[in-house]
Amino acid sequence: MIRPEEIKMSAEETGKWGMVIDQDICTGCQACVAACAMENNITFVGEVDSGYGRSMHWIRIERFWEGEYPEVKMTPQQPMMCQQCGHANCEPVCPAFATVHSQAEQLNLQVYNRCVGTRYCANNCPYQVRAFNWRDYQRPEPLQNQFNPDVTVRRMGVMEKCTFCIQRIHKAQDTAKSEGREVRDGEFTTACAQACPANAIVFGRVDQPESLVSQLKHRRHGVKHLEELGTLPNVTYIKGG
Amino acid sequence: MVKKFFEWLKKPMGLIAVGIAFLALFSGFAYWLNTTQQSPDQPIQFPHKTHVAFGIQCLYCHPGASKGPAAGLPSQAKCWACHNQIAKTQSSALLAPLKDAVLAGESLEWVPVAIVPDFVQFNHRPHIAAGRNCEECHGDMSQVNVAENPQVMNMGWCLNCHIEAAGEDQEKLIKLSDCGTCHY
Repeated sequence: MIRPEEIKMSAEETGKWGMVIDQDICTGCQACVAACAMENNITFVGEVDSGYGRSMHWIRIERFWEGEYPEVKMTPQQPMMCQQCGHANCEPVCPAFATVHSQAEQLNLQVYNRCVGTRYCANNCPYQVRAFNWRDYQRPEPLQNQFNPDVTVRRMGVMEKCTFCIQRIHKAQDTAKSEGREVRDGEFTTACAQACPANAIVFGRVDQPESLVSQLKHRRHGVKHLEELGTLPNVTYIKGG
Repeated sequence: MVKKFFEWLKKPMGLIAVGIAFLALFSGFAYWLNTTQQSPDQPIQFPHKTHVAFGIQCLYCHPGASKGPAAGLPSQAKCWACHNQIAKTQSSALLAPLKDAVLAGESLEWVPVAIVPDFVQFNHRPHIAAGRNCEECHGDMSQVNVAENPQVMNMGWCLNCHIEAAGEDQEKLIKLSDCGTCHY
C-alpha cells in the first residue's frame, strides 16, 4: 500500500521521463500532431464537433502574437502536450482515481476503464491538454485497419491525454530486459519526437544526468510552463538560446 | 375482464399456467446463462489432448508466447507440415476442414478463447521469462479437447499473482501493481 508521505516524496522528485522542446527550431509544421494521432488511435471528431471545441489532440501547436495590429509579431511556435506533472492538478480531483500517478514510471496515468467522465481533471488542468470523447467516433473504411494494437481504443465518455507514449516505453523496457540490459538513451522516442523533421523535440530520462534530454535541459536556458503553480512539469521549453 | 383474469389465475388451472410461465422464463434464463459459459465454435474440433500426448510443445504451435505480446494461433501451413504425412488426414471427416483449407489456400479462422478486454495490454513474453508455465493460466491442455478457458481472467486474478510474485521486493511490487503496467 502507498502511504500519504510516500506520495509527497514522489512529488518532490524530479521525475523519470522528460522532454525538451526547442522552440527556436520548431517550424509549426504539425507533423507531431499527425504522428501523435496515428500512434495513439486519436479519433477525428469532424467539423461539427470541432466547432463546439471538442476536437481531440494530445499535442497541439500554440501560436501567440505580440504587439498591436498591424505591427504584430508572432512568437515562436509552442507545442503543448501533457506536461506529466510531478505534482499534477488533475490527479487529486478525480473521484474515480482514474488519473493516478505512476510510481514506477513517474507519469500521470489515465486509466480508461476507471474513468467515468466527470471531466473534472480537464477543468483543473492548467495546460488544457486533456481531451474528452464526446461520442463513439466511427472510423470510415479502411481507417480502422490503421489502429495501433498497443494502445486502447477509447470509448465515449472517457477522458484521455498524452501518455508520453507509454506503450513505447514498455516496449523498449521489454526488449531491453529480454536482452538483459538497461534501456539506452535514444533507443526509442515518442511518436511526436520521431516525426519532428527539425528534431525540436527530444525525449529521454531526466533522472540520468548523461542523457541528451538532461544535458539540453541544464545546458541551455530552459523554461517550464506555469511552474509557479507548483505542478513540477517534466517538459522543458527552450527559446532564444 | 381483468378482474376475471385474476380470479382465473387463483384457480388450479391458473396456478398451473403461472407455474409453467415461471418455469419457461427460468429455463430460458438458465439456457442463456449457459450459452455465455460455452467455448466458442472452432473451425476444427482440435483435440489438444491428442497433440500434447504426442509430445508436441505449446511453443511449437504458439511460438509468439516466448517472443512478444501475442502467443499466436497457428496457420494451416503449420498443421499441414505434419498432417500431409499422415494418411488419416485424407480419410478423416473431422480433418476435412483442414484439407479443404489447404487445398483452397484459405486460412483457418481460429477463435481466441483466452482473451482480455481492449483496455488491458497483456504481454506473454515477461510472464514466460518470469518462469510462469502455460498451464498456470490456460489449464492443463493434456486433459482437454477443444480449448476452453479454465478461469475468469479478471484483474483480481492478475493482481493476486503479481503481488505474490513481487514478494518482499518493494520496487518490484510498485512496478507490478502500477496501473500503467497493463492499462494504457
